[in-house]
Amino acid sequence: MTGLPILEIKNLRKSYGAVKAVNDVSIHINRGEIAGMIGPNGSGKSTFFDCSTGLAKPDTGTVKLDGQDITGWSLNRIAREGRMLRSFQKTVVFKSLDVEENLIIAGQMFTFPSLWSTFGLGRMSRQRVSGLRERARELIKMAGLWDVRHQPAGNLSGGQQKLIQFASMLMPDPKLILLDEPMAGINPKIIERVVETILYANKSLGVSFLVIEHNIDVVTSICQRVIVLDQGQKLVEGLPQDIIQDQRVREAYLGG
Amino acid sequence: MSLTETAQQIRRRDLRIPLGAILLVIALTAPFIGSRYVTHSLIIALIFMLPAHGLNLLVGYTGLLSLAQAAFFGIGAYTAGLLAVTYGTPFYVNVVAAGLAAGAIALPLGIPALRLRSTSFVMCTLGFVIIGQAIAKNWISVTRGDMGLSSIPKPHFALGPLSFTVSGTMGFYYLALAIGALATLAVWAIVRSPAGRNMIAIRENETLAESVGIPTWRYKLIVFMISAVFAGVGGSIYAHYLTVVSPLTFQMYYSTTMLIIVLGGGAGTISGVVFGSLLFVGLTEALRITPELRMIAYGLCLLALVFWFRQGFAPLINRFWNAIGGAK
Ligand SMILES: Nc1ncnc2c1ncn2[C@@H]1O[C@H](COP(=O)(O)OP(=O)(O)O)[C@@H](O)[C@H]1O
Ligand SMILES: [Mg+2]
Repeated sequence: MTGLPILEIKNLRKSYGAVKAVNDVSIHINRGEIAGMIGPNGSGKSTFFDCSTGLAKPDTGTVKLDGQDITGWSLNRIAREGRMLRSFQKTVVFKSLDVEENLIIAGQMFTFPSLWSTFGLGRMSRQRVSGLRERARELIKMAGLWDVRHQPAGNLSGGQQKLIQFASMLMPDPKLILLDEPMAGINPKIIERVVETILYANKSLGVSFLVIEHNIDVVTSICQRVIVLDQGQKLVEGLPQDIIQDQRVREAYLGG
Repeated sequence: MSLTETAQQIRRRDLRIPLGAILLVIALTAPFIGSRYVTHSLIIALIFMLPAHGLNLLVGYTGLLSLAQAAFFGIGAYTAGLLAVTYGTPFYVNVVAAGLAAGAIALPLGIPALRLRSTSFVMCTLGFVIIGQAIAKNWISVTRGDMGLSSIPKPHFALGPLSFTVSGTMGFYYLALAIGALATLAVWAIVRSPAGRNMIAIRENETLAESVGIPTWRYKLIVFMISAVFAGVGGSIYAHYLTVVSPLTFQMYYSTTMLIIVLGGGAGTISGVVFGSLLFVGLTEALRITPELRMIAYGLCLLALVFWFRQGFAPLINRFWNAIGGAK
């Protein structure tokens, strides 16, 4: 079983009008791996994420998660049943809710057995929520958000919001996390914190990752393998140190 | 120093309990304090509080603006009226049936409507009210058209050998108060449940809610149905109170009144809706004696809302409540 990739995507295509945002891309992510995805702006990375996670419908192609065909599943079902979670390039949090509530919400659908059971107020329901609160507090401590845990998430800095988003994804036991530019626009101290958390989740919780990232130092230090997209197509994939030397990759970035 | 501070805090914290007690006493003795007309106004306010509570779940907690409440209010009123007049079924059966009927009809209406984007959804819900009125007017064999249904009996309760009819305004006030209290409790339970948290998540950011596994579409449909149940129950009580139902029960004016109650009182708060119902319905009903003034007052309220109380009265109520509670 360990030989089977956790995620296997074949021949994915997605066009927006005349723009072929993703043009026949096939990739796989190995179990336990941290894979990176790089490519110039507009090369289709975010669209590739959207089509893999159910936010957008691919025109063609198949998505297999842990051996199961999940092509065409909705975003919420892929998250809930597939335990494949994603972040958004433009950071989003539940702004008017405090940090703790943000994390509790992120765990609820994985803790309650059905939609109907979420309407319960009984002892079972209260126990589930207090279990979630405990887990939320652990993650809040780990993310260094303890002092601001009762503040509305919308009042916090961009970096702190990224940490909330990231901690939220660890609320359920995820199999795979897809991060869309987790380091963009945040200060070096928080970058370090995010890197630490990714490594912790990978080593101790066994979560596999696919990370879109422009910060090449981060990519080379955490990724075992890098996939390069250019103009909607896979240009090359390989070890990080080989990728940064690759002539085609340099041209893609320089040529725009 | 710290001792006097603590003493002060204790003294201040105590204020909330007496105020709550005073409000409770006023609620329980209102028909004896005010005139019959005031009692009547309070009954109407309590009845309108039900669809407003339902609408608050939709607008205030889930972030879906709907104008369909009057349609479900009308469906509830007609269901109760028809059952009572045709089959002579007792009050509580009619109330339950009206809630269920409104909730059931909300399902096929909600499925297509909730696929629309927000502005189209609002227009669509407005359409439901207009269609409802057209059906009530034209399906004469059942609804008796513009004549409407009349002599709907006053609520009658029979428990073994004991039986009594709620006929007077005063009796009806207590009935409406009890139902209003139950409905408020029900909304509180929904909002406090994990589902309530998911509803707020949908309001805050639907895509993010989806990404943490929340089936947003199904929640929206369920909340739409629950809001219809509240409106249907309200309509059935309205029918039994006025003893007549006409196509005018399906009115845009009612939908907007319910919306004003929610937005004016404070969307996303329960106390706001209770306060809003009393203020807006009470005011318009009390001013009914002078129809010209009534519409002007109504308009002024709307203006005040838009310019000074964007979030309704909820922040004011909260500040007041915290102040007398000694909270910082
Ligand atoms: N929702 C959309 N509608 C229209 N065009 C889109 C949409 N999303 C992405 N695109 C286009 O698809 C291409 C790839 O964009 P994107 O996936 O965001 O690239 P990246 O994340 O690599 O910067 C771009 O040309 C972009 O303009
Ligand atoms: Mg992108």
